[in-house]
Amino acid sequence: MILATYDLWAFVSENREELLDGLLNTLKVSAFAIAGAFVIGLALGAARAHRIPVVSQLTAIYVEVIRNTPILVQIFFIFYALPQLGIVFDQFTVAWLSVMIWGGAFNSENFRAGFQAVAYRYREAGYALGFAPFSTFVNVTLPIGGRIALPSSINTYISVLKNTSLMYVIGYAELTTTSLNISNLTLQTTESLTMLAIVYLTLVWSLSALIRLLESRLALPESR
Amino acid sequence: MTASEAATVRTANGEDGDGTNGAGPVVRVEGLRKSFGTNLVLDGVDVTVAAGEVLVIIGRSGSGKSTLLRCINLLEPIDEGRILLEGDEITRKGVDVSRVRQRIGMVFQQFNLFPHLTAIDNVTLAARKIRKLSREQAEQRARELLKTVGLEEKADQHPHQLSGGQQQRVAIARALMMEPHVMLFDEVTSALDPELVGEVLIVMRDLARIGMTMLVVTHEMQFAREVGDRLVFMDEGRIVEEGAPADVLDNPSDERTRRFLRRTLQLPESLEELTVNEEGVEE
Ligand SMILES: Nc1ncnc2c1ncn2[C@@H]1O[C@H](COP(=O)(O)OP(=O)(O)OP(=O)(O)O)[C@@H](O)[C@H]1O
Ligand SMILES: [Mg+2]
Repeated sequence: MILATYDLWAFVSENREELLDGLLNTLKVSAFAIAGAFVIGLALGAARAHRIPVVSQLTAIYVEVIRNTPILVQIFFIFYALPQLGIVFDQFTVAWLSVMIWGGAFNSENFRAGFQAVAYRYREAGYALGFAPFSTFVNVTLPIGGRIALPSSINTYISVLKNTSLMYVIGYAELTTTSLNISNLTLQTTESLTMLAIVYLTLVWSLSALIRLLESRLALPESR
Repeated sequence: MTASEAATVRTANGEDGDGTNGAGPVVRVEGLRKSFGTNLVLDGVDVTVAAGEVLVIIGRSGSGKSTLLRCINLLEPIDEGRILLEGDEITRKGVDVSRVRQRIGMVFQQFNLFPHLTAIDNVTLAARKIRKLSREQAEQRARELLKTVGLEEKADQHPHQLSGGQQQRVAIARALMMEPHVMLFDEVTSALDPELVGEVLIVMRDLARIGMTMLVVTHEMQFAREVGDRLVFMDEGRIVEEGAPADVLDNPSDERTRRFLRRTLQLPESLEELTVNEEGVEE
């Protein structure tokens, strides 16, 4: 009986404007969060790999806290607890900020590991040529270690994208929230969830295809 | 290397410009002491290298040869003594370390070419970023240098596509690109298959011929004899013997030098006569 009434196409076409807005919001939040997680990961990963005092200890604490607490608690913290301290963000900001902070922590570990995997002898070759320490990072450690970190950081970006669906809990109208809100009214739960699965699969596959393309152009030549 | 190629390297050498070469020694090490923790690695080393001179450094593993070269290139802080490069004390406080290193070329046992860059990009990177040469200028010069080391055809290969000997020659070209006033070679043929050693030593011989000042740590005794102007033997962080390469190698006056040469089978005894104990080759 349920199968008889199942109509995925009807669900999508009847609600296409709302769903499209939701999809757009998902993409916006993901883009902000991934860009931020990239910058945070790069900067803090470099600080940790080079044991920059203070920054490196603070980063270690940040990573510990984020990795060892549920992301839902983190989202609620930003959405409910910070306002009590007088820090209020709109839903959109909470959405990208929370997954960015989460992704940044994981990504700083990815980059730390990548930079630490760069053999000291390459850096030493940089110093011997006359590169100052920061130039050695930019010209030697970053291009080699960044490539090493690429596969693991891709996984983090994919998780960031998927985690934007958790914004359901704060009612931010990204794709999951939009779709589930519609089906709560229309009882097209199966259609709603099928559509979500298909769209997320497509998004994740496109994202990884994109980054894999980048990876194949950037990969260290011997591993091509 | 032809005469005209040699000339291009020589002008690159800076000897035509500032007049600091030719006058005093290029490198002067005075009373150098260096420990790693409680391990005293350099125990008062004095050494002077004149412009255009090739100093060969030999000694057992752990005697401090690499550490000496690394101190000269300011890759290790020193504990005592001082090092002068063309008359400037480079170990004084406040010295611009990176600028000093631009005057010193260094080639390593493991080549250390940047794996993500082609041969020519390895050679041009520092010149473009530090000396601010344009890509065209840098590549033109790099191709000349790759030609002098016999690798113009390999400019666009990545390090992993090159043999060890080819990688090491690219590494030499990379160091020369910065127009160093002195070159440091740290066992640059030790990681190579025997049949690749010659191609690297020949490049170094050519460099010596055109007047490059060189400090060469090596186990290649034929190179030491034929290319070296002077040879020092190091033991436990000290220079225990010094002289013309052939004199030291054929008639070592110090017992430690004699023992080292016997153990590396460089003395004229027949292998027939030698035996071993737990220490290695028996005296
Ligand atoms: N970074 C370091 N930290 C601690 N000890 C070191 C370090 N580098 C070198 N040493 C020690 O200093 C001593 C001299 O080392 P060095 O590499 O200068 O010897 P070497 O003469 O070049 O030997 P080899 O022929 O094996 O290359 C060794 O006992 C080594 O263990
Ligand atoms: Mg050594």
